[in-house]
Amino acid sequence: MTALVHETDPVEGYLAALAAAVHGPAKARTRMLAEIRDGLEDAVSAQGSIPRHHAAARALRGFGTVEEVAASCQLELTIAQTRHTSRALALTVPFLLACWYLIRTAGPSGDGQVPRVAQLVAAHLTGAATIAAVLAAAALAATGTLARWLPTPPGLPRVVAWTSTSTGAAMAVATIALLAASPSSANWPLVVLAGLFTAVSHAMVAGSARACRECARLTC
Amino acid sequence: MRGHLDGLLLSVLEAGPLHGYAVISTIEERSGGALELPTGTIYPALNRLERLGLLASSWQSVGERRRRCYQLTDAGRRSLDTQRGAWREFTATISAVLNPAPAPRTAR
Repeated sequence: MTALVHETDPVEGYLAALAAAVHGPAKARTRMLAEIRDGLEDAVSAQGSIPRHHAAARALRGFGTVEEVAASCQLELTIAQTRHTSRALALTVPFLLACWYLIRTAGPSGDGQVPRVAQLVAAHLTGAATIAAVLAAAALAATGTLARWLPTPPGLPRVVAWTSTSTGAAMAVATIALLAASPSSANWPLVVLAGLFTAVSHAMVAGSARACRECARLTC
Repeated sequence: MRGHLDGLLLSVLEAGPLHGYAVISTIEERSGGALELPTGTIYPALNRLERLGLLASSWQSVGERRRRCYQLTDAGRRSLDTQRGAWREFTATISAVLNPAPAPRTAR
């Protein structure tokens, strides 16, 4: 059915090809494609009272090839994904730091301490997460209003993609360590809660990191 | 051309809000058809200017359809002034080289 529509309407065919070529955050991508659809429909209407098929073909000639338009759209969608991933990092990392700090200072367990493995994991990941959060904040600034004066480094999406990938992996390790350590902790509900929160954060960050890697690859 | 796209987009939005296709039509109209941009590349450019805070946008009903309309922000106006100043300076410099003032005649 879809193929039939594309055969009969060049605009739909063009939009389908463009939609298949660009990747990015769902909201930004949907909005950009909706605007392009509106623009194309306006261009078709502006051709006057000739058959739609001919009007669409004329409108598409001046619109740019799918490759040309997809490349322009992808540049902007990659920045949108970089900001999306940076926001995910900037939002989750401070909560994680707070969780890990609570574990470290939770008080005595059965042997007088929160399990040492949980403390070690918390200490090591705190450093990595802090660096990731600072980078995320810098990326948000560099791709926002600061970009009026300073060009955005072309490698920034890739740096954010791999930093968030590493942070996501660290969160997965932390989840396993915290859940494994929880039975021997007197404060096991707190440790389990922190573990679950870390697991949710991992899901958020890892998914966004994967999308950011894909976008960065497309704009190379 | 690409280096001046931001200035062109900001300048056509100076008079008031426009949707994407109207922006393209206005550029073509003002240039007498001399500037024919691949119109599909205008939309990501408008999105970028909005991200930089130079434009603001909202969905508005235009005729029977809802369209995304863009308008200049205060920062956009300032940026347009700066770009106009830089363009005048550039054209004045090139013009001075291409069309030098006639040298004063010396008495023999």
